[in-house]
Amino acid sequence: MALISEKDARYLQKIFAEQLKDPVKVLIFVDDKSECEYCDLTQQVLEELSSIDSKIEMYAYHVKKEKQLAEQHKITMTPAIILLDKDGKDTGVRFYGIPSGHEFSTLIQDVIAVSTGKPPFFNTEQIEKIRSIKVPVQIKVFVTPTCPYCPKAVLMAHSAAMVNPNITAEMIEANEFPELSMNYGVSSVPHTFINDRHDFVGAYPENAFIQELFKAVGDK
Amino acid sequence: MLFDLGLKNEFRDYYDVVTIGGGPAALGAAVYATRAGLSVLVVEKVLEGGQLNLTTHIDNYLGFPTIEGQELAKRMKEHAHSLGTKFLNAQVMRLLIEGKERKIEIDDGTIIRAGVVMIATGADPKKLGVPGERELTAKGISYCATCDGYFFKDKDVAVVGGGDTAINDAIYLSKIAKSVTVIHRREKLRAVKILQDKAFSNQKIKFQFNKVVERFLGTKKLEEVILKDTITGELSNMKVEGVFIAIGLTPNSDFVKDIVKTDEFGYIITDEFMQTNIPRVYAIGDVRKKNIRQIITAVSDGAIAAMHAAENYFV
Repeated sequence: MALISEKDARYLQKIFAEQLKDPVKVLIFVDDKSECEYCDLTQQVLEELSSIDSKIEMYAYHVKKEKQLAEQHKITMTPAIILLDKDGKDTGVRFYGIPSGHEFSTLIQDVIAVSTGKPPFFNTEQIEKIRSIKVPVQIKVFVTPTCPYCPKAVLMAHSAAMVNPNITAEMIEANEFPELSMNYGVSSVPHTFINDRHDFVGAYPENAFIQELFKAVGDK
Repeated sequence: MLFDLGLKNEFRDYYDVVTIGGGPAALGAAVYATRAGLSVLVVEKVLEGGQLNLTTHIDNYLGFPTIEGQELAKRMKEHAHSLGTKFLNAQVMRLLIEGKERKIEIDDGTIIRAGVVMIATGADPKKLGVPGERELTAKGISYCATCDGYFFKDKDVAVVGGGDTAINDAIYLSKIAKSVTVIHRREKLRAVKILQDKAFSNQKIKFQFNKVVERFLGTKKLEEVILKDTITGELSNMKVEGVFIAIGLTPNSDFVKDIVKTDEFGYIITDEFMQTNIPRVYAIGDVRKKNIRQIITAVSDGAIAAMHAAENYFV
């Protein structure tokens, strides 16, 4: 059975035809069914998505069989989705867990953003500010598929990753990684962690988000 | 280089109408104002549609027998956008009144001038204001059942409140949690009958009537709630891992409370045209003092204010 309904597929086809510019490479890392309950479903969603428009190129890898590639992209959990631009450059955009519910639209917006080179958030000045960060930054955004504020928090983090190669930004579907969520003490979403030492709950406006970034890297 | 074009949010320094907030009231005003030929900027700090986004199903907005809150929010935004409304994602820190000038200052210090300002900041979930609440928020205490319900799968949770939102939350949570206890300070629920019937016939939902929360206890996360009986004054404790608070709303008017007149609860006082005591400053939607706070009344507040502004300040 198709995961993306015919109606949604038609809608996406139109959106993609209007908006996609350059090809986008969507990489998915999966594991055996016994290790990863949602890998099959996630892979199927991506297969259906990539069949809608030829500019969305999908590549599936087994995390253990393609160990080197997984390590190169620092993939630690499955299912993992990463987006690469047309030249194969890693954008730092990561999804751990199935992007379903509200997060499906996040994936769509990310694909369009990578294809057009326009991040969903931030103006020129804000982008310059984010680019001034020269140290590695890892952002984790814990979400649930039923949380209406979560896509904004994820897209904000992903936008930061898109504009600065020092930043990677992960969406983490909390239900699929209960142990990790518990270790981080997550019980309200969206809950964002920057470099594991600075965190905040809620979807912040652009400038407030940038302030949090700088607080975490210990500057300004 | 990729990602150089962050043009999406670039905006001018003047608009005929600036709304503070982006819920149904602001979007209603935007539709009417743009159609009257005015330029409109909607400044929203979280998500356009406001509280619509928190409602799973809406069954009382005219023309939509049932629609998801987020879907209605999206349609309203698209409608306003298609007519030329501009959107800015920022928090408004201050409203500035200088002679005839109306200005807002956003979180990065930018000043935007406006012909008229419409305060449409809505209302946020009210806090109980008891010990332990602030410390344990996001550590077991939540104000969004749809967001956080799944963290309490097969666990014991409580809902505080007796209105529509509280009972809706209890019904939603009963599908996930092991048990749901509704804590209500009165002996009867305030929710509409159809919801009450659903809740009373649900095996997983229990009730603690005439009880208020005295305090929340827990070190790293919420462990128990101390309840006080409103009649006997007796204290009791209840072990729960999650508490969802739905005791109503509090208006987001703090940032203008020294400028416009409000009632004792912070709701902004307006006349029938939605004007505050300051000319060219309107208040619309849930932030305004009024009897009925519904999507349909918020939208109509916006329309009334926009038409009044267009006729009085832009001819």
